Amino acid sequence: MVVEVKNLVKRYKELIALDHFNMEVEEGEILGLLGPNGCGKTTAINCILSLLNYDKGEIRVFGEKMTPNSYDIKREIGLVPQEVSVFENLTVIENTDYFCGLYIDDKNKRKQYVEEAIEFVGLKDYTKFYPKKLSGGLKRRLNIACGIAHKPKLIFLDEPTVAVDVQSRNFILNGIEKLNDEGSTIIYTTHYLEEAERLCKRIIIMDKGRGLVSGTNEELKSMISTSEKIVVGFTEIEDETVQNMKNILHVMDIEKAGEDYIIKFENGFNNLANLMNFIEENQLVYTKLQSQLPTLNDVFLELTGKELRD
Amino acid sequence: MKNLIRNIIYQGKNLLRDAGFSFWVMLYPLILAMFFNIAFSGMMDIELTNIDVGIVDGNPIEQVLEEIEFINIHKITDEEVIEKLDNEEIHGFIDEDLNLTVKKSGINQTIIKEIIEQIKQMEKLNRPIENYDFEANYIVDRNQKANSIIVVFFSLIAMFSTYSINAGISTVSLTQANLSNIGVRVNSTPLKKKNFLLAGVIVALFLNLLANGVLLLFVKYVLKIDLLKNIKYSIILIIIGNLFGVSLGMFIGASNKKSMNTKILIGVASTLFLSFLSGMMGPWMKDVIDEHIPILARINPISIISNNLYRINILESTKTVGEGIMILFSYCGVLILLSYMFLRRKSYDSL
Ligand SMILES: Nc1ncnc2c1ncn2[C@@H]1O[C@H](COP(=O)(O)OP(=O)(O)OP(=O)(O)O)[C@@H](O)[C@H]1O
Ligand SMILES: [Mg+2]
Repeated sequence: MVVEVKNLVKRYKELIALDHFNMEVEEGEILGLLGPNGCGKTTAINCILSLLNYDKGEIRVFGEKMTPNSYDIKREIGLVPQEVSVFENLTVIENTDYFCGLYIDDKNKRKQYVEEAIEFVGLKDYTKFYPKKLSGGLKRRLNIACGIAHKPKLIFLDEPTVAVDVQSRNFILNGIEKLNDEGSTIIYTTHYLEEAERLCKRIIIMDKGRGLVSGTNEELKSMISTSEKIVVGFTEIEDETVQNMKNILHVMDIEKAGEDYIIKFENGFNNLANLMNFIEENQLVYTKLQSQLPTLNDVFLELTGKELRD
Repeated sequence: MKNLIRNIIYQGKNLLRDAGFSFWVMLYPLILAMFFNIAFSGMMDIELTNIDVGIVDGNPIEQVLEEIEFINIHKITDEEVIEKLDNEEIHGFIDEDLNLTVKKSGINQTIIKEIIEQIKQMEKLNRPIENYDFEANYIVDRNQKANSIIVVFFSLIAMFSTYSINAGISTVSLTQANLSNIGVRVNSTPLKKKNFLLAGVIVALFLNLLANGVLLLFVKYVLKIDLLKNIKYSIILIIIGNLFGVSLGMFIGASNKKSMNTKILIGVASTLFLSFLSGMMGPWMKDVIDEHIPILARINPISIISNNLYRINILESTKTVGEGIMILFSYCGVLILLSYMFLRRKSYDSL
């Protein structure tokens, strides 16, 4: 186990930012911490790094208790903080070299690592630039380079794609996958569902300081009762027929959404086929037919009663 | 050690390239010195030659004026007075009752007036006027005025020796996870916080001492004011001023969570106020304090530095230097101790 967090409680005065939060990260995985703004993602990372005091709980990194003086553990960690944290008056290459040098003493090795990191984040044409001359997206890439240049075993990335254009975002996400392929264990926080779904092997869904559920993408989706939604629109349909639709196998509920009906199915196969049979038998004419598999948003919705999307 | 040097180089670059820092620490002292030099130069270089005085022929004062080397006598008629004053051919006109007529006021007019006062006094005391050495008298007077400008310059140097306060504030901010984003990053690395801070303090002292050196050379070679005679003690005092500045900066930086700009403002305002008390805005302030609250001059760190600079370089007395150095060192000790209480924390309740 690379990181183990047990029953972590963290208060800011009255506010409970982490409420018996648990987390386990295995070597080589990308773990996603997914949750809305203010759910405690950054607080969790800062507690794990011993930058924040906490009220209760146990934190182990690489099997050892983490303290502010655990320099040997820190040596193996890379942090990409949520806020861009670089020296304003050092260039791209100087910033990367400075932070890399806090871990890597060997000069030649460091030179190579710094070059690799800058190439990795795509800032090769900007090595002599000062941060204030970089666009927001490029600044975030520099922020990443400074956190990963030393090739750490464990990397924390705190919402590295916030306020970044699609191109930069794809670049960053691909890079993170590559880091993982090269053997780094990654803890990735985000409030973007798509990112978590695409990137993370395992996801912890957080809300109000608590970890609600954790599991792979598929595991999370199979946890909730709705497994499939089919949206249909008819040219004409009697209320009685709608009532009868509820008798189709596995149908849990039918909602009217404008002209359309959303039919929710619980676990089961052949849901679409069963619906098609029903349509044929009743000689209905449909204008629209879409099957939707549940998303993480549905998972979040069912767990908390609210949407994760903004 | 290698790590310390790397930290010093990078933190030094970061600070030196900061436009605000370069201006306030490197350039501003020179600008202020130049400004003071211009503002007070009237006092310093009184032209003691070619003061043109008009009198009518036969005025008994002529004999006296002839003795004074820097006065040119112009014999004119009563009717010409206004015209010659207007054309600035004469600086002033003295009538037979020793009344002075001038067109405008200035140094030369003041000197004429003082000479007349002097003559009247001598007459009253029945002293032979021929024995009076006007020139020597004016040079003494001029030196006294120059001395009070030197007080201003020593205050200026004392103030800028404590300007390491700015770098002290910013290095503490970079060190602390609860004060800056870089602090968060630095504290997540295996770099020990105290090493980062040590590098920052060395950079602060080095750059400010450099700026002080530039200021001293500028005053000596560009403004041509010779301030330092006792170089050894002067340098010691300036270095301690730098230490005091860094310590105060660290304390201001570490003791609260106000914004960086607010802290720098607090730092600059407090040094400016202490410098004002030590006579930087005009020597009269120093006189007032010396007369009414002499203890203030003994405990005000800027006064300690500027007064001792004055004493060792002008009065050539090192009597109070020891006491001054002791007091400044105690200030540094207390400030560093207080800062340490805030700085030793490694995890925080809130970032
Ligand atoms: N220094 C602080 N003092 C007081 N409350 C804080 C502090 N930092 C965070 N909080 C509160 O703690 C809660 C968790 O904050 P945290 O920054 O960990 O959330 P987050 O999940 O990282 O959010 P985001 O997605 O916006 O970054 C929030 O309600 C926040 O308002
Ligand atoms: Mg956050």
